[in-house]
Amino acid sequence: MKLSKTRRALFAGLVLLFALPLFVAAQSGEIVLKWPCIWVGKDSKAPAIAEIVAAFNAANAGKIRVEIEPQPDYNAYEQKVRTAIMAGMAPGDIFTVKLNASTKEFYTSKLLLDFNEDLTGDWRKSFDAGAVTQSTIRGKLKTLPFETAILPIWYNGDMMKKAGVAKIPATMDELWSAMDKMKAAGMYPTSQMSGDTNAWTSMIWFSWFAVSNGGPDVWEKPFTDKAFVDAAKTIKRMFESYTTPDAIGAGAGVSGGHFLAGRTVIFSNGPWYAGRADLKATTFFPSITIAPVPPTGSYKNIIISRLQANIAAGATADKARHDAIIKFLKFLTNKPNMAKLAEVSGGMYAVNAGFVPKDNDLQKQFYDMADKGYETATDLEAALGAEATLEFTQQLSALALGKITPEQFCSLVEKKIDR
Amino acid sequence: MTKKKGANLPWIIVYMLPLALFFFAFFIFPLAFNVYTSMMKWKGGGEMTWNNFANYGKLLHDDTFLLSMKNNVIWALSQGFIQIPLATIVALILARNPRGWKLMRTIYFLPNVISTVAIAKVWTALYNPQFGVINGILNALGIDAGRNWLGDMSTALPAIILMTVIYIGYFMIIILASIMNIPKELYEAAEIDGATKIQQEFRITIPMIRGTLATAITLAMAYGMRHFETTYLMTGGGPAYSTSTMGIALYLKMDALRYGEASAAGIILILLGTLVIVAIRRALGKSDPMTEAAQ
Repeated sequence: MKLSKTRRALFAGLVLLFALPLFVAAQSGEIVLKWPCIWVGKDSKAPAIAEIVAAFNAANAGKIRVEIEPQPDYNAYEQKVRTAIMAGMAPGDIFTVKLNASTKEFYTSKLLLDFNEDLTGDWRKSFDAGAVTQSTIRGKLKTLPFETAILPIWYNGDMMKKAGVAKIPATMDELWSAMDKMKAAGMYPTSQMSGDTNAWTSMIWFSWFAVSNGGPDVWEKPFTDKAFVDAAKTIKRMFESYTTPDAIGAGAGVSGGHFLAGRTVIFSNGPWYAGRADLKATTFFPSITIAPVPPTGSYKNIIISRLQANIAAGATADKARHDAIIKFLKFLTNKPNMAKLAEVSGGMYAVNAGFVPKDNDLQKQFYDMADKGYETATDLEAALGAEATLEFTQQLSALALGKITPEQFCSLVEKKIDR
Repeated sequence: MTKKKGANLPWIIVYMLPLALFFFAFFIFPLAFNVYTSMMKWKGGGEMTWNNFANYGKLLHDDTFLLSMKNNVIWALSQGFIQIPLATIVALILARNPRGWKLMRTIYFLPNVISTVAIAKVWTALYNPQFGVINGILNALGIDAGRNWLGDMSTALPAIILMTVIYIGYFMIIILASIMNIPKELYEAAEIDGATKIQQEFRITIPMIRGTLATAITLAMAYGMRHFETTYLMTGGGPAYSTSTMGIALYLKMDALRYGEASAAGIILILLGTLVIVAIRRALGKSDPMTEAAQ
């Protein structure tokens, strides 16, 4: 088959047209860093992250460009990270990991960059030392601590007033009594749930009970320990008498939805929830007070906290790419950017940005609580990993329905703990 | 001129090769890799270590996985022996061309073009103990209905199966098409012989669509065996694993970075599925009288 001269010229032109961008990119020497990012769309951190990335790209035009790959679904994002690592590929040049007993396994992968040699001097000093220690496993620092959280309980002050509860309960007896008053006023006292893969809001309550009963190192004890059995009895009582009828099997959306709709008085979650536009739009938003769960045991001044999101990077033999990654991460975690992120999102971070909340009273409550000098302990999911947390979640329904005893519940969870 | 035997072989290979390569890359290789990893201890990040059949042993001694296997069989049976009979009854009625049958056919088929996620979300709302329509109707009828349908271990699985088996549109269309192909003369002859409509259905229609029914039951059971999304969306396999299926168990093992066990769960699912399908084909696998008639 012979092509005419015109057709040949047209064909060559088309080939050139499509090949040109590749040629230009190859010649320009620009390093493109891919960041599959969860902080996009409606996420409270999205505007600040977009601004920071745009500023970095502008300052490094023609040399380094960070490209955000939007991943708005949290579960799908975690799945993507797991699957990519399992398949022998880094999920991106930069990505985030929820560090817990299961995901610590990622530290055995050669795909992740070890930050030990890079996190030095002032950059290291800018991070919370405890968070860096928590993120160091067997001497390796394959994720940088980024977002942290304390997980208190939240009280709807307007509803408390209507129920005749004058002050935040300081003891469990006061809490039971307050919740009885709320019930008498036709309210559901707490948002509980036993759905999703971690029974999030109820897992927070349980963690408080367990730590108060057994101390900050309670997670190292067998789950059949009295501290856990007693915690199971307390959470069972919550489900039986002080929550909504749909709590068994409910997910985080339902649990949070009840609080947002003013159907439940007490809720549990991290500081990022304070940045939600739909929460800020409620009439009761100014009345929200956060507090520790009253102690159920002998340990009294401990609060539940966790590393909510750590930043990881793909390991590379290309020094220029490695340096570009570090340059971006240093920019991302510098004081002004972290302060901006904290202000916009309502979140808390492992980088000391010197940020002090002003206008948002709820955010200030979180910072004040974190500064009160409480001892901290982690939650069940962070301490025991995905499989034990899933068993906790599934058997929590059976416990709440009275199908198993607290002792049986604890025994079942113990079987799934990988020690 | 006769062609030499095997002269077409190179062309056969050329035409088959692209699809064969795809089939190897996206089915044979993953399956073989799955078999391999099912015998490994592998948490995704680090090295795999040989684990013999320990993953299989662990799963087969795990009460929750055994419950998932049982639920899979329940799903397969309910799809094959509740959904298909329902689809057959509706197809038999519509095949008699009652008034508005085309509209009804469209209505029955409509859920098949709606996203599974949307349907699952709608039914989750319908089953809600506080605000759901189902409890609302029961309340209006004076029946005390505070039941948390999806949060009760005794009702969660039947509730999800019920919402799935009533979506009969896909199989109804297949069966209806098969009924439409039955020669009208058979019914005319039967009428002359004095057969009632019911007798005609049992003596002519059902025997004539036996092959289609066997295929429909096989397909429905295969869908049942691999059931995942609706349950995962509505209950996540809970409460207390009461609605878990092997697909969900597999997914949750991956979620917990237990890739070796997840692979073993996948292999068990394939074996159990094959076993059930072969058994049902054996039980129903008589030749199709329509095909015989055509020959």
